[in-house]
Amino acid sequence: MNKCLRLQFLSILSLVLLFSGINSAFAEELVIYSGRSDRFVKPVVKAFTEKTGIKAIVHSGSSTALLNKLKLEGARTSADIYISNDAGNLEKGNELNLFQAVNSQLAGNIPANYRAPNNHWVGLSARARVLVVNSKQTETDFVQSVFDLADPRLKGKLAITHSSNESYIAGVTVYMQKAGEEKTKTWLKGMKKNVDSSVFNKHSKIVKAVASGKKSIGLVNHYYIYRHLDKHPDAAIKVFLPDQGKEGMGVAWNVAGAAVSRYSKHKVLADKFMAFVISEEGQKLFAKVNREYPTRIGVDAASSIPAAGSYKVADVPMVELGRKRNATIDLIESIGMP
Amino acid sequence: MENIYRRFNYYSLKPSLRGSLALLVVLVAIIPLLYVFLSSMQLDLQGWKDLWTGRLPGLLWNTLSLSILVAIGSAILGISAAWWVTRREFAGRRLAIWLMVMPLTIPTYVFANIYSNLLEENGWLGRAWHLVFATPPPELFNLFGVAFVLTLAGFSYVFLLVQDALSRSQQNLEEAARIQGATPFQVFYRVNLPLLRPAIAAGLAVVVLHVLSDFGAVSMLRFQTFTLSIYLQMNGRFDFQAAAGLSLVLVSLSLTFLILERFFRNRQRYYGTSQASRYKPRKATAFETSMIWFWLGLIMLFAFILPFAWMLAWSWDAWMDDLIDEEFWGYVRNSMGVSFAAATLTVIAALPVALYHARQRHFVSQSFLHASSVGFVLPGPVIALGILAFVLANMPMLYGGIIVLIVAMVVRFLPLAINAQESAAQQLTPSIELAARSLGASAIETLRKVTLPMIRGGMISAWVLVFIDTLKELPATLILRPTGFDTLPVRIWIEASEEMLELAAPAALMLVIGTLPIIWFLMKPEKSTS
Repeated sequence: MNKCLRLQFLSILSLVLLFSGINSAFAEELVIYSGRSDRFVKPVVKAFTEKTGIKAIVHSGSSTALLNKLKLEGARTSADIYISNDAGNLEKGNELNLFQAVNSQLAGNIPANYRAPNNHWVGLSARARVLVVNSKQTETDFVQSVFDLADPRLKGKLAITHSSNESYIAGVTVYMQKAGEEKTKTWLKGMKKNVDSSVFNKHSKIVKAVASGKKSIGLVNHYYIYRHLDKHPDAAIKVFLPDQGKEGMGVAWNVAGAAVSRYSKHKVLADKFMAFVISEEGQKLFAKVNREYPTRIGVDAASSIPAAGSYKVADVPMVELGRKRNATIDLIESIGMP
Repeated sequence: MENIYRRFNYYSLKPSLRGSLALLVVLVAIIPLLYVFLSSMQLDLQGWKDLWTGRLPGLLWNTLSLSILVAIGSAILGISAAWWVTRREFAGRRLAIWLMVMPLTIPTYVFANIYSNLLEENGWLGRAWHLVFATPPPELFNLFGVAFVLTLAGFSYVFLLVQDALSRSQQNLEEAARIQGATPFQVFYRVNLPLLRPAIAAGLAVVVLHVLSDFGAVSMLRFQTFTLSIYLQMNGRFDFQAAAGLSLVLVSLSLTFLILERFFRNRQRYYGTSQASRYKPRKATAFETSMIWFWLGLIMLFAFILPFAWMLAWSWDAWMDDLIDEEFWGYVRNSMGVSFAAATLTVIAALPVALYHARQRHFVSQSFLHASSVGFVLPGPVIALGILAFVLANMPMLYGGIIVLIVAMVVRFLPLAINAQESAAQQLTPSIELAARSLGASAIETLRKVTLPMIRGGMISAWVLVFIDTLKELPATLILRPTGFDTLPVRIWIEASEEMLELAAPAALMLVIGTLPIIWFLMKPEKSTS
């Protein structure tokens, strides 16, 4: 038995060594922790590799889980770049001191609103929180602002995501900054009554439900609507940009962005990657695959979406999405939003 | 007779090889628990108060009601199916046994994903439902939906263990009871059921522990159990202390449950003699055959055939779109390699603990057993973080390697292997080992020549059960995998959360196909006895 055991241990050990050998082969490659969809990140990374000859490994997962990983790993991390879909996570990482500054001349290409004040992260593409409306009905015509979604007339007709969705939390943070805590609280309570605890787990399902007429109106990120229209060009939905009037606060934006890990072991490569995604070419690629708005001024978004600057955007700096995130979650939880 | 064996402590209490090996295993297994203790100690009084008043009541209710529903569902499906396939000989019996075990190859998050798709208004089931009931299909995003999914994913454990016990039960006991004038129901209630109790208890324990630690289905269906809430606390709010506090409550809950299960199992022990004849199933009548197939077919339809057909359909799309590339086969290799290493290591690590407890009943062996169970009652993400924190603090050179992931899997699934091996060891009459010892064999020789061959079946099922679970393992892999190291579950998770079903389906299909030879291996001993 002893012999047999030893043999088994040896075989396992060799297997393990084999695997760890594979692992250390990555030494001279750029390691990217990505919380953004693979299908949006991989084309960018591919273009980067083709252009610079630098190989990169994409380690994908959820933005928050990867940030957690970065935090736990500390100086031992193998990550050089962190990409997140949400400014909240980026700023959280900044607060935890997990990043290092991007060259300020480079970062200067991105408007100050869309990056950290200390340049520890930069927003690369922006998305808008808009309303998707079923075009076959008129009962939601009175809605001008997201705050109208709390109107009792929408009972049973409103579609929103569950309240742990990053985009949802970011949106509520913006509204809280612009309209104050009291108004936001009343609004959430009203929406809670309207949805009657039946919320959606995916934005795409909200668009689907509105298109089928099951719901009349929904709160989503703009690109989900266009994605649905790709597959179903005749779908009975339209985009509505809320809060546009003279007194309106404007549409809430959120950015996806990237940061250089504080403990990056390939700082030179990481800087090259940042330079690439901030370059006009990189900006186009990063935003366009998902029809988002490139944050760099002068780079156009996809022509199918409302042009940036053609409508009013809430002027809340993206750092606030991180700084105020826990306050937002507390508010949402105190109301018991599903 | 029973009492003699129970009192007869034929190994001395002095520190033995098996005892010290068991201690070593246990020390590794409790690392995550220590982490939980240390983190929750930083939680102040106010923090605990907030937990008690805010979250706990709802979480307790959700978790307990879900466990009970799934346990009931699994008991009904598992015991009834096991009874029919061992007590009646009917056409296609072996196929039925196979199909009953196949759901184990489908992870809970795949079940959840598939059923929420099938039940959409334009899904297969959604349309069928609309035709039959003329109402919109039911939602899965509630207690009953989650219970449905977890029952389908878990009942096979009960089936497997009960079927094993039934096919090894001895005919002479039942015949004796019948001769004494007992009705068939009395035979079941007074002879079979007590004999089956260890198997049923072990099966249900496995099911409930899976429910308690399930992360995939509850997070896909957004049903707040302890595990999901702990994960959200850690990942959404970076609140490790509250997460640790919740974990501690979950651990005490699960340990209470485990001790209860042990209590039920320990109250009675039975040993059979090897000469007694095994049960020979009676040939089923035509009516019985059709009834059996109706019932088993219904279970199989929902637990395996529908999900499998769905995977095939979507995989076909992926294949046609050339989405199955070299990268995909890399995920398959990664999954297989990790699971193979983890299962083997787990079975080896479990052996000393299982034997130590099966043969030596005292405080130390009991506490070893309970301590090693901790891996199963802690949620996967917490185990992963515990191991991660330990490795980073004490042996950072290991970090980032595959070994850390494998150790986490061993810790996670150790109780499963211990359970399976120990129930095999318990059925082994101690007198055989005593005979070997009295004939002059050393302890190690006895182990090698007598004990191991006789519990081989238990070791094989332990290996298979662990392999199947590690192949499906998600939360610990998500946290501990080396950079860029993706397994099939990780890919399923990523693709499904982006709703790229044509990419998730082939990965799920590969999990099923990859487990097939393993299941074949598991079913082989059954063949030789029939």
